[in-house]
Amino acid sequence: MKLGKKQQVQNTIPTGSMADIIFLLLIFFMVTTIFKMEEGLPISLPRAVSGTELDREKLMNIWADRLNRISINDKLVRTENIQAIVSSRFEENRSLIVAFNVDRRTKYSLVSQIMDQLKEANAVNVTFVSVGEEE
Amino acid sequence: MIRKRSKVSTQFSLSSMSDINFLLLIFFLVSTMFAVEKGLPMALPGQQSRSVRLRRENVMTIQAFANGSVVIRETGPVLIRDIRAIVESRLILNPNLVVVIETHPDAEYGIMINILDELRLANADRISLRTMRAG
Repeated sequence: MKLGKKQQVQNTIPTGSMADIIFLLLIFFMVTTIFKMEEGLPISLPRAVSGTELDREKLMNIWADRLNRISINDKLVRTENIQAIVSSRFEENRSLIVAFNVDRRTKYSLVSQIMDQLKEANAVNVTFVSVGEEE
Repeated sequence: MIRKRSKVSTQFSLSSMSDINFLLLIFFLVSTMFAVEKGLPMALPGQQSRSVRLRRENVMTIQAFANGSVVIRETGPVLIRDIRAIVESRLILNPNLVVVIETHPDAEYGIMINILDELRLANADRISLRTMRAG
């Protein structure tokens, strides 16, 4: 009879591979996460210091680039159709703010035409999206 | 003594690898700067709004031309970065001042935004956007 024999079973969990497991999880979630993003058009925004924070929930984005292309909801639209699109979006949400994502080299006439369309649609709250000085 | 076994270990320790990885991760987290997008909010005149007659002394018109020059109609050419100081001093003399940004259709949108930015920095809250007649 051997009494009081010391137990030989280890009572620690090996933690050496913990970092590997964490990295695997990190990579898994990085790969499987899909962000819902509006692509817009490739533009370089104008610079401004006095900008205020944007409330993404309320924004309706309009993109316009140097080649006078206009994009709403990742679809290229013609200037004349903006009023109809904006009106229908405003039916759902009255407090929308239209965000101008316009390339800084765009001719002002295009911006002016878009603003005329917005006035027709009675979408009077706009914001001109810009980037801060620091980059 | 021939063929003595080399005692130098041929492996380097891998246990601090995850520490190095985390250091790199934290370094890039901290040093990455995203271009922060901000907005210059503006309320357009809607369909219902009536045009108001303004007294001449209450109006200051800043014109942006297609060649990039900026002119204050009442005084003359001006640098964009000087507009803030000029408008600030004009606002002290006349708090009812309305600043009109008159942009040529072929002028760049970025210039209009730069002027608007200066006006916002000068705390001018009565701003009107106008498009110059082409020609």
